[in-house]
Amino acid sequence: MQEPHNEGRIPPSQRSGEPAVSGVPSQFEEAYLRFGPLLRKIAAKKFGIPVQDVEPLVHDVFATYFLRWTTVEAPERYLVGAICNASRKYWEQADAAGLIFCGETPCAATPSDALLREVHSKVLLSRILGCVGAKCRDLLEGYYMNGETTRAIADRLRSSPATVLVLLHRCRKRALAAYQSMTERS
Amino acid sequence: MDDHIPKGELALYAFNPAAVSPERGAAIRNHTAVCFECQADLDFVSVREADLGDSDVWEPVVGSATYDSLMALGARITEEDRAAEQVLAPLLANPATIAWTNFATQKRFLTGGVARKLTDAAHGVCENEPIVALTYADAAIAVAEALPKETYPSRAIYEVIGSAWKERANALRLLGEFREALESLKRAERAYRELTDAGVPLATVAFVRAAVFYEQQRLDEAADMAEIAERGFAHGGEDDRRMKALYLRANVHYESRNIAAAMPLYRRVLEYGENRTDAEWIARASYALGNCFIEERDLGEASMYFHKALVLFREVGPSTERVRTEWGIARVLLHGGKPAEAIRRLRDVTAEFEQRQMVTDAALAGLDTAEGLLVSGQMRQIVPLARHLFTIFHKAAMLTGALTAISYIKEAAAAGTLTKEDLHVVRAFLRRAERHPDLVFAPPPKPV
Repeated sequence: MQEPHNEGRIPPSQRSGEPAVSGVPSQFEEAYLRFGPLLRKIAAKKFGIPVQDVEPLVHDVFATYFLRWTTVEAPERYLVGAICNASRKYWEQADAAGLIFCGETPCAATPSDALLREVHSKVLLSRILGCVGAKCRDLLEGYYMNGETTRAIADRLRSSPATVLVLLHRCRKRALAAYQSMTERS
Repeated sequence: MDDHIPKGELALYAFNPAAVSPERGAAIRNHTAVCFECQADLDFVSVREADLGDSDVWEPVVGSATYDSLMALGARITEEDRAAEQVLAPLLANPATIAWTNFATQKRFLTGGVARKLTDAAHGVCENEPIVALTYADAAIAVAEALPKETYPSRAIYEVIGSAWKERANALRLLGEFREALESLKRAERAYRELTDAGVPLATVAFVRAAVFYEQQRLDEAADMAEIAERGFAHGGEDDRRMKALYLRANVHYESRNIAAAMPLYRRVLEYGENRTDAEWIARASYALGNCFIEERDLGEASMYFHKALVLFREVGPSTERVRTEWGIARVLLHGGKPAEAIRRLRDVTAEFEQRQMVTDAALAGLDTAEGLLVSGQMRQIVPLARHLFTIFHKAAMLTGALTAISYIKEAAAAGTLTKEDLHVVRAFLRRAERHPDLVFAPPPKPV
């Protein structure tokens, strides 16, 4: 009978990932930006990890992944399994064996279609924000992300709240146009 | 249908329905109820209003502390790997120098990149040069253990340490140093458990541990451990490694002569290979199923699977598996009542194993030849055959119980008392002696 195989790695010839910017290989940035939101959602929504503790868990999972990515066959499945394990460890609910593996299927907390759609929609929106121009991005970031009022933004821009509302309206139109352009292309 | 609602008006309405007149609002609602195009645009803008407040949406655009930290780590890993490549190139070109280089005391070697590169190098040569692999792994451990634990964020240094120990275990397994291999696996496991997520790394430890137990003939433990590895790999999306663990578990059952348990597992491996059109997996599983059908005395099926494997092994290799498959076909002929044809083929197979210095396989194929001679009433010819097998072992400096076992065959054949049962006992002994060279051969008791 044949001997059991060595446990195997992806040979160097199959490794992709030329350095992208500032010495960071593209596969690291791509993996993080593509799967980071999904991992956060799984930790927060499926495992109920408190918001302030989600970020360190996601960081831990990616830090280990970066050191072993050449041996990983399917990054998404690996990372989903990893965040499930990390979340379980966080709660220390399972026994030692259960802590490591959770059976045949990737994970009881494998993301549902609805969650995946939600994440996909947000990833899409991130891409749209890349197409609306710097001024619109600043404006939308201040209003939506940082919770600035139209008055605060108006002061910053030396303008009026009414003008800020008009500008926001134009930026949304631009985002919609970018979305339509993307969906038409795809 | 009415004309489409202008995009700007839809965006305005989505943001604030009160921004349009009540009549216009009603018109927009009526229109979007029947116009999927405008409805999609309205939905898009409405949903995005909420999404725009989510930090995940903004991270790719404006960055985050996590992003910055991880990209800095990524850049560092890349730079370390590049530097390690340079600093280790002359040493890896001359592996003997690795053994007498004191890695832990020279600053240029004390990086995670050097530890990783040495671990990778150990993994690369493990199957063919386990002693070299052990040297590399020991050097990797020396470096990894000397690094400060805060070298990387998220305690990721334990990934480097665990992998170096795991590679040492792999090398020791192939060198037959099983006790030390298990000790190294303990160290690997201890390191991996420091990680926030250790699923796949621990599955790898379980797999190597299963392989060690298999070599030690601790078959129940091997099967349990292989199953744990299978589950761990499945959980991490590592399908190919999962299949390796499953294949190992099948081998364990085969080794325990539990053919009924082994066959469905081999069939799963075959199915996996066929689904992926992976010639190597199809060939391995077919070969293994051929062996199972021989045990089941279903020679038709055995022949079919061996021939399927043979075609693929001829095409994609490895050649040793091709020879083993030809051996399987010869055994089908032997059990199918065609000893003359079987003997001819078995002699060819034995010669090929000898050429490759695969001493135990040569001896086992030789015993099949002896069985062919025995059933065709040519017992005297077994004497020179056994003498030849004795010479093979002697030349290979394998001065083990195997020599005694072969001598026993020679003497029994010369005395005309050799039986199939004798051959069976010696065959089983040689298989065990390959893993346990210190075993002492005890001849089977003869009926009084």
